[in-house]
Formats: sequence, structure tokens, C-alpha cells
Amino acid sequence: MKIAYMAFVALLPVAAQEFKIPASLDKLADKATEVVDVTLDGSMLQLASRFLSEKDPDEARVKRLVAGLKGIYVKSFEFEKSGEYEESDVAALRSQLKGPGWSRIVGVRSKRNGDNADVFIGSDGGQVTGLVVIAAEPKELTVVSIIGSIKPEDLRDLGGNFGIPKMEIGGHKSTGAKEE
Amino acid sequence: MEDLERQLKNALARKDAPDWFEAKVMASIRRDGGVQARRPALRWRWASALAVTVLVIGGVTWQHERMVQERAAGEAAKARLELALKITRVKLQRIEQRLNETERDN
Repeated sequence: MKIAYMAFVALLPVAAQEFKIPASLDKLADKATEVVDVTLDGSMLQLASRFLSEKDPDEARVKRLVAGLKGIYVKSFEFEKSGEYEESDVAALRSQLKGPGWSRIVGVRSKRNGDNADVFIGSDGGQVTGLVVIAAEPKELTVVSIIGSIKPEDLRDLGGNFGIPKMEIGGHKSTGAKEE
Repeated sequence: MEDLERQLKNALARKDAPDWFEAKVMASIRRDGGVQARRPALRWRWASALAVTVLVIGGVTWQHERMVQERAAGEAAKARLELALKITRVKLQRIEQRLNETERDN
């Protein structure tokens, strides 16, 4: 029920502003012990898609998912000790997602682990146009931005692909925004 | 001595060429001229054939090279896609885990 409500709210016909991972985040690379930066724009996704097999059911599913996407951008910084990034760095990311068309479908604030995570869905005219995951852990900061037509079911479909276990978003499990 | 002089005089005496000589020479000139006229055409034919061969080999090599580069780029893009989806999976999994913990605590 909660999921249905969240999906309804997320898909209200208001165009989402385009989310961009700010270049200012790159300054964290100097402090990080490990940096992952993946940029896959529309043409790169199309190219990758051509090398996904139709015969392999998992790859075929990813191929269908990728067909509706315009870009996948990932930035992940891993630090040796906590406190290497500022709250303002994360706030700059979240502030972009406060505009119309963006809805936070999951929010986690864990005092126990110090983990802060948010999942946002962007929509335009009732269509999902993007998904953003911000995971701020004490020693790790990760931002994932998936641009394009992606549904919670698509995320669930990621299960089994490239070793990705099934997600229960949109299923029986509650994924409502919760904060500790 | 006189005999020798006479022999020399006979040998070096002016004699008209036989009637068939001129015709033979002219025929020979015509024949050689014809061969020379045909030679440039033959050379062009060989040059064209060589050019076509070079073009075909060049084209095939370029096409092959392009396919190799495209495959490498495609495989690299696929690997990046795999990495991006893996990171997404790990993060979503952890979020789900934290949600479950929160649910349990409540």
C-alpha cells in the first residue's frame, strides 16, 4: 500500500530537473584511497548494449533495461578514515533533488552505523525519467544517477544480472522513507 | 699485292640493296612501332590492377581494424556497465539491509 502511494506520488506529472553529479565532488579524489568513476552516456550505453547477448536471459534483460536509458553515472569514493568528506558535499547533491519532479522513495539515517542513504525517483508526465542513489557512509560516499525510463520493476529485473541479487522494491517489502 | 687490292676493291664496291630489303625494313619498323604503341596501354592496365589491389587490401585492413577497435570499445563499455550496475546493486542492497534493521528495531 505504502509502495503504491509512493509510486503514485513519484509519478505525479511534474517534470524533474536534470540531476548532475557536481564536478566539485572530484576534489574528494585526492583524499580517497579508491575512486570509481563510471560515465556511460547514451551512445556508450548503446554500444555496450550491442555487446549484450540476446541469447543469455540475464544479458537480454539488461539489454531491454538499457534500451530505455540515456545515461548511467557513478561516482564512488572510499576513504581510509571517516570524516574525509563534508556534509555540505552531500547537501549539494540532495539540494538538486529538492526541485519539482523528484521524489525521495527511500531514506535511511542509521545512527548505529552512521550510514545515510537516499533513493530518489525523477518523473515527467507520469513517466519515470531518472533514479538517483546517494549513499553516504562514514568511509565511503557513492552517488549513482540513472537517467532515462526506469521503473522499480526494472530495478527488480536487475536481479540475477551480473550477479545482482533481486531487489524487493515495489514488491512485498516496505521501502518507505524511514529515518532514525 | 695486286690480287689483294682487287679483292678489297670488289668487297668495298658500292652495291645497291636488293629490292626486298626496303620492304623488309619498313615492315620491321611498322611491327616495332605497333608494339611500342601497345606498351603504354599494358602498363596502365597493370598500374590499375595494382591500384585496385592496394585499395581492396587497404579497405579490408581498415574495416578489420575498425571492427577490432569497435569490439574493444564495446567490451569496455559493457565492463563499465557491469561495474555501474554492481555498485548500484551493492548500494541498494545495503539500503535494504538498513531498512530491515530499522524495521526490526521498531
